[in-house]
Amino acid sequence: MVETIIFVLMGLAAIAGAITVVMARNPVYSAIGLLGTLFAVAVLYVLQLAHFVAAVQVIVYAGAVLTLFLFVIMLIGVDKEENREENLRFQRPVVGVLAGVIVVMAAALTAFGDFDWVPASGAVIPEVTNGTIQAVAEPLFTDWVLAFEATALLLTIAAAGAIALAHYRRRESTDG
Amino acid sequence: MSPYFESYLTVGTFAALGAVLVMVMLGVASVLRPTNPTAAKRATYECGVDPVGSGWSQTYVRYYVFGLLFVIFDVEAVFIFPWAIAAEELGVFGLVAMFLFILTLLEGLAYAIKKGVLRWE
Amino acid sequence: MTWEIDYLALAPELVIVVTLLVVLALDLFLTRPNKYWTATAAVAGTALAAIPLVILAVEGENVSMFEGSYVVDEFALVLKGLFVVSAYLVLLLSHHYIESERFYQGEYYFLLLASVLGSLVMASARDLIILFIGLELTTGPLFLLAGWRKGDAKSNEASVKYFILGVLSTAILLWGMSMLYGLTGEITFAGLATATAGLADEPAMIVAVLFVIVGFAFKISAAPFHFWAPDTYEGAPTPVTAYLSVNSKAAGFVAFLLVMYLALPELSEIWAPALWILAAASMTLGNLSALRQSNIVRLLAYSSIAQAGFMLVPFAAAAVAGTNIEEGFSATVIYLVIYALMNVGAFATVIAGANRTATGDIDGWAGLGKIDARLGVLIGIFFFSLAGIPPLAGWFAKFAMFRAVILAGGTATVVLAVIAAVNAVIALYYYARVIKAVWLDDAPAEVPARAETPPSVSLRLALLISAALTIVIGFFPAIATFVGDASRIIAAGG
Repeated sequence: MVETIIFVLMGLAAIAGAITVVMARNPVYSAIGLLGTLFAVAVLYVLQLAHFVAAVQVIVYAGAVLTLFLFVIMLIGVDKEENREENLRFQRPVVGVLAGVIVVMAAALTAFGDFDWVPASGAVIPEVTNGTIQAVAEPLFTDWVLAFEATALLLTIAAAGAIALAHYRRRESTDG
Repeated sequence: MSPYFESYLTVGTFAALGAVLVMVMLGVASVLRPTNPTAAKRATYECGVDPVGSGWSQTYVRYYVFGLLFVIFDVEAVFIFPWAIAAEELGVFGLVAMFLFILTLLEGLAYAIKKGVLRWE
Repeated sequence: MTWEIDYLALAPELVIVVTLLVVLALDLFLTRPNKYWTATAAVAGTALAAIPLVILAVEGENVSMFEGSYVVDEFALVLKGLFVVSAYLVLLLSHHYIESERFYQGEYYFLLLASVLGSLVMASARDLIILFIGLELTTGPLFLLAGWRKGDAKSNEASVKYFILGVLSTAILLWGMSMLYGLTGEITFAGLATATAGLADEPAMIVAVLFVIVGFAFKISAAPFHFWAPDTYEGAPTPVTAYLSVNSKAAGFVAFLLVMYLALPELSEIWAPALWILAAASMTLGNLSALRQSNIVRLLAYSSIAQAGFMLVPFAAAAVAGTNIEEGFSATVIYLVIYALMNVGAFATVIAGANRTATGDIDGWAGLGKIDARLGVLIGIFFFSLAGIPPLAGWFAKFAMFRAVILAGGTATVVLAVIAAVNAVIALYYYARVIKAVWLDDAPAEVPARAETPPSVSLRLALLISAALTIVIGFFPAIATFVGDASRIIAAGG
């Protein structure tokens, strides 16, 4: 019961946030809407016993990536006039029809309740009520330690590459 | 309610408490204080100087690299969490793995420092 | 803990990791005139990585680590050998190019080696997570390297196009992979192979497999997912283009084939027709577009799209027919190896030719053979080899391809063989056009001034090695057959 209530609330919050992202005139409000969606989805992850994913969602997406989005928005300048002319005029009706189709399909699926076309997963779901982070840690540092170290390299690549491409120095020729 | 959600109840309670606290304090203040708005009082506070232009202003591109570095080291922090929780079971091997991980990223940081990214000119 | 890490089996990767970290550290301490040491370190490190490869090949032991997620067998070693050799050649191509245009040097080699590392990881990956990390490691640095000519709008365009489509394809691929995991609960190839049996009719499974195929098709720039390739190839610095069309493409191919062949053999009725379409479309679209190109790099870009189609032919044909799949797979791998070697050479001649004539237009190369006979001969070797003219290596690739198709049999296969044959003729036309410009067309009245410097020693070395390999494999295809045998073993042993 509690699960259902939380699910419905957070589902609605996620959708409301997503609508704000698309509809808001001011891009900063769009970013805040995205923040709401990300938080709501994080709660949904908790509902699925995925603590670690929820934490990552909040720390990385809601925290860091959104900050980056805001930087970009402020960099471009929200005070500037925007060209709001739409070149694809049929775009809105098409999206409306597609959205309608999805809603009808979702409603039909829920009403007639046949989800059997997804075969049952053979995965053994570990009995965890508290501490899925532990369950993430052990394989990460045993079977996938290689992937883990490669991730460190990926992050370093991102840092060094971004600096090399984006950083601007006036004395480029002397100490580069 | 399952014990699983009971542990999250604490989180929810604290969040609600925080929200209530702010609302109560602002509410009480608005009841108690005299209201007499003037144009000068309503202006944005900008170190005592009259504000110029709109609050939405363009930021400097240089902040962007900071933002980028922040994301990268934020992701690093995320990887440290599971390691910290299971550090005992993982033992020396886990320690070495994490050491190499951080060392690799430190080289990235050294690179950023050496290139003068973190220096404000 | 029960598992062990075999450090010798990981040695090639470890050597590359240490090299790239050293390169980045060196870059911090060297002053501008001494930056070439980073290049030296990169070249030396790559050469050093070949030593453990040889040791492992001589020992000939199959090593399986991390519960079968990471395997070093003959097949992986052959591909790692290819990646190391082609990376070595690309480094030789880069050396002078990067130095003379005053690019950032240390970072360039750091990123390039990271990409090489990714391709080495992919050759050994036998589960979806490690495969994905390997793929990211291969392509991530290339998004940055494509834009390495920072001041040039075309290079920026190359980087942005590659990045956006690359990230989109990664997202689609990851989505497909997560669906595969969700539907089966398995992450290793071996586990997936058993768990997917009998699920070929499940709609969710069809969607998952198609997503994986679309994701990989972007990576190997197979039509109709190739739009990014010509613009990216043209705008990126030429050595990076060479790397993109050789290493990164080969690595993407290997990952693609491994997933289909080892992880999803039970679902071949889903992916075989998709591969058939990709092969036919890539050959036809690539070749027809190549006919109209006037820029040599764009021509090679479309040619590499078409070659990707040829590479897919034997595997797709065998899978559609459902017979002799090992033959198809090994023919595809043979084609891949030969293509990689001759295409590096072709790009080396492009760098040398552009250096000599100061233009990338095919018309601008008119009479190049009379001005510089040696370069003209090399252009002849690589472009005729790409066209598949005996006795150059390219003929054996095409021979292996058609042989596998004939072994497979069946109507759909014959249709594909006919499409391939027609395309081989079209391809001959535009490759020959380059050679005609170089040898038969008259040189412009005034010989174009030689661009500042003669080709560097490293460029000559790269040309020499790739030309030698192209000719030797052409005369002794047994070398390439060994590659094919190695890939046949993977079929038997898993």
